[in-house]
Amino acid sequence: MQDVRIIRRIMQNAEQKPPEIKLQTVQPAPAWRWLSERGLRVATGEATLARYAMLSAQRFAELEDVIPSDDSVLLILRRGAAVSPGLRAALTAPLTDAPAASGKLHEIVVEYGGSAGPDLSRLAERAGMDTAGYIHSHAAVEYTVAFLGFQPGFPYLRGLPAGLHAPRRASPRLRVAAGSVAIGGAYAGIYPAGGPGGWQIVGRTAAVLFDPQRHAPALLMPGDRVRFVPT
Amino acid sequence: MIEVLRAGRCDLVMDLGRPGWGALGVPAGGAADPPALAAANRLVGNDEAAAGLEILLAGPSLRFPLGGVVALAGARFMATRSKGGAPAWNETLLLAAGEILNLERAETGCRCWLAVRGGLAVPRVLGSRSTLLPAGFGGYQGRALRMGDTLACATPAGEMHLLRARPPVPSLDAPLRVVAGPQAGLFDDAGLRAFFCGSYRVDAASDRRGLRLTGPAVTHARVELPSQGVLPGTVQVPPGGQPIILGWDGPVTGGYPAIAAVIAADWPRLAQLRPGDAVRFATVEAEAAPAPAPWAIEALA
Repeated sequence: MQDVRIIRRIMQNAEQKPPEIKLQTVQPAPAWRWLSERGLRVATGEATLARYAMLSAQRFAELEDVIPSDDSVLLILRRGAAVSPGLRAALTAPLTDAPAASGKLHEIVVEYGGSAGPDLSRLAERAGMDTAGYIHSHAAVEYTVAFLGFQPGFPYLRGLPAGLHAPRRASPRLRVAAGSVAIGGAYAGIYPAGGPGGWQIVGRTAAVLFDPQRHAPALLMPGDRVRFVPT
Repeated sequence: MIEVLRAGRCDLVMDLGRPGWGALGVPAGGAADPPALAAANRLVGNDEAAAGLEILLAGPSLRFPLGGVVALAGARFMATRSKGGAPAWNETLLLAAGEILNLERAETGCRCWLAVRGGLAVPRVLGSRSTLLPAGFGGYQGRALRMGDTLACATPAGEMHLLRARPPVPSLDAPLRVVAGPQAGLFDDAGLRAFFCGSYRVDAASDRRGLRLTGPAVTHARVELPSQGVLPGTVQVPPGGQPIILGWDGPVTGGYPAIAAVIAADWPRLAQLRPGDAVRFATVEAEAAPAPAPWAIEALA
């Protein structure tokens, strides 16, 4: 049996014992915490993509992977490797080069509703619109790819109008078709492959989101912009 | 060359995985017990990272029309060789032309690895020959083996000797060692006590994406969290309070609170958990986590 107080103490240690870093800049320091003995989670907030670009460009030998997400970057260390002074410095180094202000713009053609978008009419009703109005709102804005996750090539798209936000389904579908255009909370997304999924499905695209044989396997990359075009 | 006379429950071509593609949403994947596959490869004179087969619970029947040099490591299966007797585990095996290796069910544990001299010659996808089953690529046509499949083996390069491997002795009853997660502060004392003092069972709905556990509910603050990067071994707790240990092919980001992460040294034990097995957890500090135990390799006397 383990005493909860001891567990608490260990957790507080995990939260308070970052790799020793001396602050050298006026920028707010990122907070980092060990997710495991090989995973270091760095809080990066609004600067996530810029910090990700900087860390991945420098190709630190001790890093096996660098994974951006909502507002943090996960560094995965190689087995047995330790954080080098260079990496420590890079975690707090000022972000001089702003990332390309806007990534590539993609137009994604979508068949809305019907069997392609089984949740559309219910979501429209929830939003107090007719389906045409809902589609218009969904397609009227430009989205930004925040990060990829869940499945290879699955984009988490920022920019969904607040009126269209919708919680995930209470019970996930066992099978969602590849190309399904979906809404999960404040995000829009597109399922690259078929499989189980809990997001609300409003339509489907024929675009191939992920192909491991392509030179660029993921169609949409973090920082890219997306517009949906109704058929 | 290998002919699949009968497929097992889920026979997957695996090497040591494809780390480095997480930003594209691609998990590293690879053999569930990397030291076991690496050891099997060494027994047949391969590079440690060559592709072999990962075999789950009920194995395949494989024919080697040209014979071959193979090695088995991991969970022991009931198994026979067509020329008589049972194949040894953890040593170099010489198969005669036309010989059939028949792997039936696992006696204990869940997974074993079969290495073949030269390595399985499937195309590399994103730098690896590992099957990523949820995405349908890599390995043998992105799927588990089926009856009638034929696997090619690459031409061997290095020297070969008759060898034996001595695996580290697992402490099966010991708790899984975990590092407390960055979001552990979201859990109340009752939730922490449930998780760290309770005993869980592995649910039947577990696979390489995740090990689902059933047991005392781990209560936590119901907050909407941003999606954050995760890695295999991360223990997430969905609203229902039943923990999930993310597996080798699990997602690279997750939005549920992470209470802890199983250290890499205990992944070999995760690989052998089968539905119904009991699981307990104990904390270690990140800096004090031991590395995966090595396998000893020696000449076969």
